[in-house]
Amino acid sequence: MDIRELQGYASFFMTIFLVIMLYGYIIYLYRSEKRGDRDYEKYGNIALDDEVTSTPVEDKPASQRE
Amino acid sequence: MQSNAALEYDYSIAKLFTYTTILFGFLGMLVGTLIAAQMAFPELNYLIGEYGTFSRLRPIHTNTVVFGFTVSGIFATWYYVGQRVLKVSMAESKFLMAIGKIHFWLYFVGALVATVSLLLGYSQSHEYAQYEWPIDIVIVLIWILWGISIFGIVGIRREKSLYISLWYYIACFLGVSMLYLFNNISVPTYFLTDGLGSVMHSVSMYSGTNDALVQWWYGHNAVAFGFTVPIVAMIYYFLPKESGQAIYSYKLSLLSFWGLMFVYLWAGSHHLLWSTVPDWMQTMGSAFSIVLILPSWGSAINMLLTMKGEWNQLTENPLIKFMVLASTFYMLSTLEGPIQAIKSVNAIAHFTDWIPGHVHDGVLGWVVFMIMSALFHMVPRMFKREIYSKKLIEVQFWIQTVAVVLYFTSMWIAGITQGMMWRAVDEYGNLMYSFIDTVTVLHPYYAIRALSGVLYLTGFLIFAYNMYKSMTSSKQLTEEPQFKTPMA
Amino acid sequence: MFHWLEKNPFFFSVAVFVVISFAGLIEIVPNFAEASRPLVGMKPRTVLQLAGKNVYVKDNCMSCHSQLIRPFKSETDRYGDYSLSGEYAYDRPFLWGSKRTGPDLHRIGNYRTTDWHENHMFNPSEIVPGSIMPAYKHQFTNLADIETAYAEAVTVKNVFNTPYADDLIGTRAGWDAYKPKVLAEAKAIADNMKNKDVKDAVANGEVPEIVAIIAYLNSLK
Repeated sequence: MDIRELQGYASFFMTIFLVIMLYGYIIYLYRSEKRGDRDYEKYGNIALDDEVTSTPVEDKPASQRE
Repeated sequence: MQSNAALEYDYSIAKLFTYTTILFGFLGMLVGTLIAAQMAFPELNYLIGEYGTFSRLRPIHTNTVVFGFTVSGIFATWYYVGQRVLKVSMAESKFLMAIGKIHFWLYFVGALVATVSLLLGYSQSHEYAQYEWPIDIVIVLIWILWGISIFGIVGIRREKSLYISLWYYIACFLGVSMLYLFNNISVPTYFLTDGLGSVMHSVSMYSGTNDALVQWWYGHNAVAFGFTVPIVAMIYYFLPKESGQAIYSYKLSLLSFWGLMFVYLWAGSHHLLWSTVPDWMQTMGSAFSIVLILPSWGSAINMLLTMKGEWNQLTENPLIKFMVLASTFYMLSTLEGPIQAIKSVNAIAHFTDWIPGHVHDGVLGWVVFMIMSALFHMVPRMFKREIYSKKLIEVQFWIQTVAVVLYFTSMWIAGITQGMMWRAVDEYGNLMYSFIDTVTVLHPYYAIRALSGVLYLTGFLIFAYNMYKSMTSSKQLTEEPQFKTPMA
Repeated sequence: MFHWLEKNPFFFSVAVFVVISFAGLIEIVPNFAEASRPLVGMKPRTVLQLAGKNVYVKDNCMSCHSQLIRPFKSETDRYGDYSLSGEYAYDRPFLWGSKRTGPDLHRIGNYRTTDWHENHMFNPSEIVPGSIMPAYKHQFTNLADIETAYAEAVTVKNVFNTPYADDLIGTRAGWDAYKPKVLAEAKAIADNMKNKDVKDAVANGEVPEIVAIIAYLNSLK
């Protein structure tokens, strides 16, 4: 297998992989919101309420969530 | 508002970068206006001897607006937005304050030295990467300091989720690092020859077609990660904050982010259509340029929808007007770019003035408008004074909007005229025009463009004056405004 | 599974980096060996021509002139054969340019002479009425840096195996021995020129920038 062929396969499979990831991400975003796991839209408030003294939108470390 | 006086955001670094944004913005646009005028009136080439020719000044214009104005604007807003969306003050870490100060001063001195080096003619001749190797090393250091500052403050954050603007700032940091490093690899000739010749001189690591590929992979994506990604970061913070409206769809902003990251990098080869790079690569560049409309418009539409039901703010608040117009110009230029990347259109458009026309509706209309409105939003909060004059903002807005329209319309006409004249043949198939015919015909358009430069620069001077007054002598604020920026 | 990426700055950065470097890896890297092959029998530029190329870079001619003839009849009629990848194999940096405010120069050596360039660089609008190109009078007095050009030739020979002859040696003594060849080449150009000061300078063993850049422009064929 020469580098040309390798390039072709790499390009093809990587593209498919990334497309699957992107669609998976879309599905994940909506499913997790529907199930009530997470409210993505609340992150928009990070910009609106941004005093140094305000309560963080999400302040628990990742290990303690849920 | 804050009960705890000890805990406040520290804007000292953001202020310093605000000054350089205004300074380099003025210088870059001044040189830009001069070289635009030189194309209409060539006598202007001889103002300062060999240092004043169009060819010597053009890189100074491009590099001053890119690495002077825009990058200063990115740093200024970063040192402002970064703290706020992470809800942690820089003052809480002495280390980060020190890094910030070193970052600024190295940047400022480096920028001055770099400009002088271009004036003297030291150049690697890669567009937007002209600086010779010693200056490249300084630039890399500056960038590393910025990286330390980003990840340092992210490390001590209170807000655990990273707001979408931060994603874009981090992407800007990573993208520019990768591109700049690879495109600037070169071999200094002095050290390999026992000290012969100039220390400054180097040869590119790549040759010919490869060099072109790497350069335009860089050139195109420097635009992506310098003029798009961090500016989107700004609008995702400043538009919601100024209008009091949360982003229309946060999920859409996340999707557009990944879409933009993936697609943008492929499109670089559209700068090399009909050249000697392999055909499949040119086609790939064309195709991905079209796909690129999707994530770009995803962000832009998200911004416009954020204002849904709040359009009255457009008449009440000139900053909203700036930002909405900026999103609109972003949509225009991200549609125009893909059109130019279609191979048959590119055959006419490439090498003509339509290309600078495209660059400038993006840069003048989107980048500069967004950075100026960001500064308008930041300065009252950093200096605790209201904006000096709303009327001046309105005047500036209209002068600059007219200037942008004059710029791109004149360059569209000039570019298409010249592109068509180059290929025009008579009934026997002979070329109809000699090259010089296609130059002299452009004189009126070059004159209009020079006029638009003067107008835009005037608008920027009004902006600088308004900023100066707002920093020093307008009415003091007792507490920080939550959303709409107060102005007299 | 994605949420963890959104919250962890390190893994987030890695993900961004993977996504953005993908295009470069697939698109650019595999073509390197292929695209850098020179045409059969092509010679690298002489030291004087390299010095001229450096003047071309210093005065940034590429901001207005391309060196890339595209495969259209209107371009081949105007400028000559369309450009081939192999012709650029020794060009560091490439000088294709991105804007044609002036005409393409990739084959200008075929249809312009030393004499024409001398007059044109001194005052372009006298030779081409209506020209908006600035005059480059300073090239008649500034001296070209032939030593740096020599250092460049030695470097590309040693680092990139560019096929230069064996008498290019990267030492002070090597340069002193080689310098007369460069001056002889410069003299051949100056013999076709009229400017007295330039001729005198070349006779005194100096090379004004104009001589070097004409040598370079004549080599563009």
